[in-house]
Amino acid sequence: MSTTIQPERILRELAELWVSLGKDSEHGQASGVLRACAMTLITLAEETEDPTDVWSTMAALMPEHPSRAMVIRVRESAARELASRVFSQCWMPFGHRRQICCEQIEISASDASLPDLAAVVLPLTVPDLPVILWCRSARVFGLPDFSQIAKIAQKLLLDSASFPNSAEVLVKIGRRSRAGQVLGDLAWTRITRIRELISQIFESRKYLARLNEIAEVKISFGGSVPPTAAYYLAAWLLDCLESAGAHPRLSWESAPGDPPGQLSRIELTGAAEDGLHIAICASGDRERPCGDVQIDSLASHTVFPPDNDYVLLREELSIPGRDPVYEKSLTRAVALAAAENQ
Amino acid sequence: MPLENPFQDPLRFERRIPECAVVIYGANGDLTKRKLLPALYRLAYERRLSTGFAVLGISRTPMSDDQFREKMRESVAQFLEDSPFDEDVWAGFAQGLYYMAGDIADAASFSNLAVRLKEIEDGRHTAGNVLFYLSTQPSQYAVAAKGIGAAGLATGNGWRRIVIEKPFGHDLASARELSERLHEVFRESDVYRIDHYLGKETVQNILAFRFGNGIFEPLWDRKYVNSVQITAAESIGVEGRGGYYQEAGALRDMIQNHLLQIMATIAMEPSATFQPNSVRDERSKLLRSIRVMKADDVLANSVSGQYGPARIGGADVAGFRQEKGVDAQSQTDTYAAATFFVDNWRWAGVPFFIRTGKRLPKRVTEIAIQFNSAPHAVFGDNGDDTTPNLLILRIQPEEGISLRFLSKRPGAGMKLRPVSMDFNYGSSFGERSPTAYETLLLDAMIGDATLYTRQDMVEASWGVVEPIMNVWQNHKFEFPNYDAGTWGPKAADEMLARRGHAWRTP
Repeated sequence: MSTTIQPERILRELAELWVSLGKDSEHGQASGVLRACAMTLITLAEETEDPTDVWSTMAALMPEHPSRAMVIRVRESAARELASRVFSQCWMPFGHRRQICCEQIEISASDASLPDLAAVVLPLTVPDLPVILWCRSARVFGLPDFSQIAKIAQKLLLDSASFPNSAEVLVKIGRRSRAGQVLGDLAWTRITRIRELISQIFESRKYLARLNEIAEVKISFGGSVPPTAAYYLAAWLLDCLESAGAHPRLSWESAPGDPPGQLSRIELTGAAEDGLHIAICASGDRERPCGDVQIDSLASHTVFPPDNDYVLLREELSIPGRDPVYEKSLTRAVALAAAENQ
Repeated sequence: MPLENPFQDPLRFERRIPECAVVIYGANGDLTKRKLLPALYRLAYERRLSTGFAVLGISRTPMSDDQFREKMRESVAQFLEDSPFDEDVWAGFAQGLYYMAGDIADAASFSNLAVRLKEIEDGRHTAGNVLFYLSTQPSQYAVAAKGIGAAGLATGNGWRRIVIEKPFGHDLASARELSERLHEVFRESDVYRIDHYLGKETVQNILAFRFGNGIFEPLWDRKYVNSVQITAAESIGVEGRGGYYQEAGALRDMIQNHLLQIMATIAMEPSATFQPNSVRDERSKLLRSIRVMKADDVLANSVSGQYGPARIGGADVAGFRQEKGVDAQSQTDTYAAATFFVDNWRWAGVPFFIRTGKRLPKRVTEIAIQFNSAPHAVFGDNGDDTTPNLLILRIQPEEGISLRFLSKRPGAGMKLRPVSMDFNYGSSFGERSPTAYETLLLDAMIGDATLYTRQDMVEASWGVVEPIMNVWQNHKFEFPNYDAGTWGPKAADEMLARRGHAWRTP
């Protein structure tokens, strides 16, 4: 593996790629190519990860979030190593004659070459468009040189569910957020549909009027300690309820039979015996997650979108800027995790 | 009690529908099966409906709730567009489907409706909110509204709204009369006149394009715009609806509502806010600014056409007069074109050419804004194609926006050629766009009337179209005057040629 990369060479290769795609089109191999770009999307992943997973997520995202995609595959090594390759991905929308193509750059880097990486990546970002960094590796997130790359991005995405210690990672994320970094956590994205379901219940004036009755919020989860998603959900619920004048007690419950990290059940309960009782039970699997809602005697069943990287990233990439609801919940979640671990 | 739902997260959550019951008159009809129920199911699939949601279908055919559910299941599975049918979602949605047989002409049916609605309200927690959807013959709108009012169903614990489909009258007087009858029962703010064209994503995108960007609006006036063409072409004929179509015609069926609404969206002034009445005020103002043609000017500024038989793709295609249920001497317009002018400072002198027709070469709806040519030919006359800049807003079939401009041909010398820069809505955003009925039903249940037509807009449109209709009715046209599969009568080309223009070929 070589030890240097020249960004100019990569840019030249990208330009040549477009010329060759254009020539293909002139020779009748395709009826025109349309170049699309709305952002630079950089993914940091471990070299040991199967790159096809990452690229297939990128491919799925392209029609909705066309971008110059960079995948940086990092290997644990003390030797300074950097290498790159450039290619394009094209697709033909159904019923159309023109291909849409996006640029893709793959960079291989060792831990030791991370300090050199920012200087390589920065010139490769598309001018005037947002840069989003998706860090898939808990190990790389913890490396001292990670911050230099993170600085390039307008938004940093990670999945705290993949970190071993939920309380610890929340503290780290909270620290970055306080320092001004715009963040997105896929563990938070994963609870959007549950939050939406809860919000929808209180669109009813009948239930809204009874919101003050709620005296207890109970969250059940798989595993022995609350995952970050549980902290986030609890933080959001408490913030919202308090803003409406309710001051419920929070309780956790471990559901040993459920997979660790999964939210199993959320209950909002009124103080009186015959008071309001709302329960949301998670069911299904990652491909077809479901929610069963019980509000007093009324029951309904909801099917959520699949829980995969594509669906989660699609939502996060739609919010390139700050998300005040997330930032507020993050602050509270950090405090809840600290209190729980005292 | 908190005044607002504290759990809202507008950055991430979709707009939510409050608990309510939708009462559909004409529940056994085509619109319900093909459009309304698939749209409601899709809203359920997207988790937009509240837990307390119900549909009560009404028509004359006797049916049980379960039979209605089964019938609707088949329709939804058949007519759902770009979307999977999910048995689990259907099962939950179907629990909220109810049916009762009833005749609009029978006063007792409204008392039965009141009883049934109360049961549904108690069982499904719909909070007394009711949306009445009249998917019936237009002649039944006033009768249904009267029955609803007499049974005390126009008011209640929650909101009560009524949705009606076009045509809103067949002329200005009948449109006014219909509004008066509806207003005896419902306030204007609770009357939702649906124009499904306004629910299309690209029509809404016109507003985003014009008012969300800073670069186009400064060019959007008589100083820079040379002319505007609006085309709504259909390749099909009347498809067995000859009897209905014979009474309507292209001018009434398309221009009076859809195309004048599109013209209003293109030409209206910016609204101060995106509030329903603020946007509708501007649309209405624009419609009232369209110059009403004097009787003497009508034949010079409008063209009526009717297709004759032809061979298309090796198959014989019948002319309109040969269609089933059509009078052999019919004077109905299957093609209508008109030149309109807007009498305000922004648009004075800019012609708006509108055309619509059946059996044209292809199905296409688009708006073309032609800008003035560069004031001076810097590069001389090299025989280049120097057609002026053109901005095309495509509504169907491929929703998108194209900008045509001149570029230098590669190589020595300064030769220019037009190139097109395309934005394609479908391929730029891979996400499925909601159907017009999904958008409009959602809006009606939320209480957002931005995309619905208000009484003054309906009257203003009739005010523009009626003088043309009156002249056409008293004129005997030499029909058929265009072959099926062509771009309409020669007279339409001549109408533009007189002003130094030509129709685009979409």
